[in-house]
Amino acid sequence: MNRIESPAASTANLQLRQVGKPLVRTDSPTKVYGTAVYAGDLTMPGMLCAAVLHSDRASALLRHVDTSRAEALAGVHCVLTAADLPPSQGVMTDMPGQTGGLTKNTKQPILAKDRVRFCGEPIALVAAENAAIAEQALRLIDIEYEDLDGIYDPFDALAPGAPIIFGDDNVVASYKVRKGDIEKGFAEADFIVENTFTTQYQEQAFLEPEAALAWVDEHEVLNIRSSTQVVEHYRAVADAIGLPHNRVRLRAEFVGGGFGGKEVMTIEVWLALLALASRRPVQLVQPRERSFLSHGPRHPFTMTHRTGVSGDGKITALQIKLTSDAGAYAKLSPYILLYATVGATGPYRVDNLHIDSVSAATNNLPACAFRGFGTMQANLACEGQMEEIAKLLGMDSMEVRRRNFIHTGDANVTGQIIRSAVWSDQCATQALATLGERPTDTQTTRIGHGVACYQQSYGRIRWMKDSSEAWVGVEMDGTVIVRSAVTDIGAGQSSALAQITGEILGVPMDQVVVYFGDGAVTPLAGTSTASRALYMSGNATKMAASQVRKNLLSCVAGYFGVKIEQLDMCDSQVFIIDDPQRSIALKDCVKLCAAEGVHRHNLAIFRAPTSEGIDPETGQGEVFPDFTYGAHAAQVAVDIETGEVKVLKSIGAHDVGQAINLRAVEGQVEGSALMGQGFALCEELILKQGRLQTGSLSEYLIPTSEDVPEIKAIVLESRSGLGPFGAKGIGEPVYAPVAASIANAVADAIGVHIFELPITPEKVIKALREKESTK
Amino acid sequence: MLPPFELLEPHSLDQALKMLATSESVPLAGGTNLLPDLRARGEAGGRFISLAALDQLHGIEHSDSRVLMGARTTLSDILHDPLMPTAAPSLVSMAKVFAGSMVRNAATVAGNICYGSPSADVVPPLLSLDAELTLASAAGERTLSLNDFLLDYKKTARRPDELLISVSWAPPTTGTANLFYKLGRRRGDAITVVGVAVTITIEKGNCTKARIALGSVAPTVFRAQEAEEALVGGPLTATTIGTAAQAAAQASRPIDDIRASADYRRHAVHMLVRRLLTEAWQTAGSQHD
Amino acid sequence: MTDKETQMITEKRVDIQVNGQACEITVPAWRTLLEVLRELGHKEVKCGCEKGDCGACAVLLDGKVVDSCLTLAWNAAGRSVTTVQGLGGPDNPHPLQTAFIEHGSAQCGYCTPGMIMAAKALLDDIPEPSLKDIKRGLSGNLCRCTGYTRIFSAIQAAAETLRQQETTS
Ligand SMILES: Cc1cc2nc3c(=O)[nH]c(=O)nc-3n(C[C@H](O)[C@H](O)[C@H](O)COP(=O)(O)OP(=O)(O)OC[C@H]3O[C@@H](n4cnc5c(N)ncnc54)[C@H](O)[C@@H]3O)c2cc1C
Ligand code: FES
Ligand code: FES
Repeated sequence: MNRIESPAASTANLQLRQVGKPLVRTDSPTKVYGTAVYAGDLTMPGMLCAAVLHSDRASALLRHVDTSRAEALAGVHCVLTAADLPPSQGVMTDMPGQTGGLTKNTKQPILAKDRVRFCGEPIALVAAENAAIAEQALRLIDIEYEDLDGIYDPFDALAPGAPIIFGDDNVVASYKVRKGDIEKGFAEADFIVENTFTTQYQEQAFLEPEAALAWVDEHEVLNIRSSTQVVEHYRAVADAIGLPHNRVRLRAEFVGGGFGGKEVMTIEVWLALLALASRRPVQLVQPRERSFLSHGPRHPFTMTHRTGVSGDGKITALQIKLTSDAGAYAKLSPYILLYATVGATGPYRVDNLHIDSVSAATNNLPACAFRGFGTMQANLACEGQMEEIAKLLGMDSMEVRRRNFIHTGDANVTGQIIRSAVWSDQCATQALATLGERPTDTQTTRIGHGVACYQQSYGRIRWMKDSSEAWVGVEMDGTVIVRSAVTDIGAGQSSALAQITGEILGVPMDQVVVYFGDGAVTPLAGTSTASRALYMSGNATKMAASQVRKNLLSCVAGYFGVKIEQLDMCDSQVFIIDDPQRSIALKDCVKLCAAEGVHRHNLAIFRAPTSEGIDPETGQGEVFPDFTYGAHAAQVAVDIETGEVKVLKSIGAHDVGQAINLRAVEGQVEGSALMGQGFALCEELILKQGRLQTGSLSEYLIPTSEDVPEIKAIVLESRSGLGPFGAKGIGEPVYAPVAASIANAVADAIGVHIFELPITPEKVIKALREKESTK
Repeated sequence: MLPPFELLEPHSLDQALKMLATSESVPLAGGTNLLPDLRARGEAGGRFISLAALDQLHGIEHSDSRVLMGARTTLSDILHDPLMPTAAPSLVSMAKVFAGSMVRNAATVAGNICYGSPSADVVPPLLSLDAELTLASAAGERTLSLNDFLLDYKKTARRPDELLISVSWAPPTTGTANLFYKLGRRRGDAITVVGVAVTITIEKGNCTKARIALGSVAPTVFRAQEAEEALVGGPLTATTIGTAAQAAAQASRPIDDIRASADYRRHAVHMLVRRLLTEAWQTAGSQHD
Repeated sequence: MTDKETQMITEKRVDIQVNGQACEITVPAWRTLLEVLRELGHKEVKCGCEKGDCGACAVLLDGKVVDSCLTLAWNAAGRSVTTVQGLGGPDNPHPLQTAFIEHGSAQCGYCTPGMIMAAKALLDDIPEPSLKDIKRGLSGNLCRCTGYTRIFSAIQAAAETLRQQETTS
């Protein structure tokens, strides 16, 4: 096995001047002054407005689609249906920007042809002079459906004889993990605990619905400016419509929230087709109701844990079954299932293990990527089970966790050895301690404390062979430019690169400009997904900046007649460490380099560790670069009469490796605390026979300011991660334990576990009644 | 995007009433119900009469015996009125949990009442205060009780040519408690799952008047009159309160929807009525000590 | 009813002051203030739902905060509108803007323009808001990124700054 060289090692003694500090993010002012530009804000002369017709049947044959009345409407420029599409007839929805192998059936029709498989499937596109005409045109498209039987439950879909949604069967993906000797493990167990946990659909509900603008420019290049997490989609757009890759340019604007929902291609390919057909710039901004249909929500999971434990709380055997509802197309379901499988044992070491996981196709909304990517669902079951085990054994649940925590050097589910720090215990202990004393119960409220730990990967699956490029250069006046096609989806992705570069080159952050998100002119950085942006692009940027630093210092070393190691850079000066009076301004240093023909810029590529996949029979192999560990604790008050749950405190404690921008890290923890609370308590996409019942923001309820508990972020730094300065990925990890901690707190408060999310007042009352009746 | 419609903008009440009388049209107040509905419908058509310029419909007047609230009073106006906390405590509690500040600035009392929704939050407090409505048409004015105004799901006693011009009620006397609670699926800006308003008047240790108004648990907001009757005449005890709460739950005719089941709603009515009555008994009783 | 009254008026000239600038537009009755502002180039007014659920479109109308998506442009005639750009900019930041920047209250930033306008209205109304007041004042402004905590702290800080400005001026 390859030993992974931690990039942290090389900079272990570097004195950090900017990294880790809560500096003002470079993107803050423009957002606060209202000058930041989002894709829907762009306009061009002659721009048309697009609109999309989504199916209102979940499972039906498309007998006839007649667009003639729409086309005849004044102001309509083009109407496209499947009949007008290029022969490829599909768009790749596999891992975006990926260069490795593809999984089966991940090509999805751009527009439904002959058949619709889910309620909301796109059928036709319109481009018109303005939005009103485009909307009117949609109403003039006549569709004749012939309803087919649909399947709306993954277990029905897997039953023999079920109608096939797509492909050869309804199994979108499945995994097996076989480790140790499970029979022996169960034989050694003093107790066996079995429970089934279920989770619901969760909608990303980013505040900015999908938006993009596309046009063909004077060089016959198809340009798309979009709200996307992935500029590498330009390749998928090009492939889908039969253009060479170098004729599609995709630029990502500031993204008004992504959370995975703008990871797989959403509207870009539609706009590309309309721009080509109309030869005009075309913009689409999805109304909220159609936004709900345009990406893919979090997969509902059913998760059964059968755990053998010894009397002292050690897990001796664990058998896990995971079933997810993929909906009507595969999208990223196979990968999400893999994440769930690897995350199924949480941050615990289990030597005797069976996991069987399957993702089934149904006629529901196709589910896709969402912060946590399967891991958080799997983790919820795992952490709920910990509580149930502890209850059975009469032990403190933290004690049970301690008996089983995975440690650095242990093998995880897939046999991968964990090399970075595992500070689960420290994090959980601190988070719980920060909850403080319990307020006393009243006649009608019960207070509960809950904690949950997790293990969440950062960085892509190893066989994606991930890499990121970044360019750093110093201008003649000493200002600095970073070029990276990283997308900025709100977590401070571009700002972090400025901070890292500022650190390395000793320039204030506001002297660094980051050009980001342009698939044509900034070096490709890969996606802002999988908690990889900082890890990958941070490393690439740091490598590039370090090389520039080296070049600059070598010139200055010659100038002063000292060694490079005797020099440092700070406040746009290069100085001799032991004699700081002897210094030279960065801009003069740049001139020196220029005169000597030394590169003042560098293009670097960072490669993540790779592997060739897992053994299909045992599930063993290296899947991820590394993992983040931490914990979340919650204090809740449950009204035992109405079943209402109020979260009082919500504390996240995470080993982030190294915070690059402390404030940004805390912001991630705080945001995920509330998003996780929504998942635990009030968010739920309800589908009835495949039809969405909660398709707007008055029915789909995300937490408001009135729902905010006391939130705290505790940031621990082991500096053991694979990211720059030892950072670990945090965007998804900090979210992973939140819902579980709240579910556990509710169980603690009322004495019964609710196995089905979300924990509505109604379910609380039901659980309390059942508890009463079994007394 | 809103579909095309016609908007008339009268400058006086008379003009507005004339328009209503002679053309098929619908009053438009804050638009917070009408505009989302129009957008959802998406079809062109309809004629609306803007009430924006009708100053006669603005303002809240307090006298010792009566509070008179113009129909265009917004939810924010209720929150900003310094006398409202004593004139209608339940209405103030309600306004605090009604929508968010932007909608509170636009949404009017009349719009809330006239829309006739079972989840209209303004209605339970006003019902619990025995509010009366004054409606005007080109033919004249009439006054009727809010209770009589609400007929069925989105059905009220308003004739198409009528405008609601004001709402009035007698402010609570000493010894009266007037409470409201909204149960929603989240704490801020949510459609009510169960709304309860109660008014209890205590004189010499006995309950002399009881009002229990329930939202979101029947086709309209309604008063649980049997439950009210169970309370009047004596002190409120755990038993009488329990009986009344039970009766209120039984009087409810809720439905299953995306927010909650009928069963749960009935349960919540029981619990919340019991809770609010208990609290009301304590506060109203303490006003006399 | 006279002919004149029943005749359908489809378009109307509307004068609106936007951030102190007089604007004159001719629009039909069904056009919302949100659409008009964005057509006028005020892209800082965001759209997240078009029906009052999210607050991204919040602006001040004669000093009161409204959802511009639920306000007809006709109803804004003769009135003044303030957007986040009218509140201040890099050269003359409003204390709320300074505080939002310093507290890291914007992540994706899409909710921010509306959020700041709701906060402005809140501080105009309650200069020393409690945390409870702040939560109530913002409950119509959704934010999916921040968990609101840094928005709360920024508003508290801005309130403090404004209070100090008040006492020193
Ligand atoms: C985001 C959001 C949140 C909301 N939250 C809540 C909430 O928490 N609780 C709640 O109860 N409601 C809520 N609502 C619904 C709505 O805001 C209220 O019902 C509001 O009071 C309606 O008043 P309006 O002035 O906006 O009515 P409009 O939409 O203008 O009109 C509503 C109806 O009343 C009629 N009407 C209006 N004025 C008169 C009059 N003077 N005479 C006769 N008829 C009249 C209209 O013709 C129409 O049928 C919410 C709405 C939104 C968009
Ligand atoms: S766009 Fe106006 S409230 Fe959402
Ligand atoms: S910062 Fe993204 S929605 Fe608030």
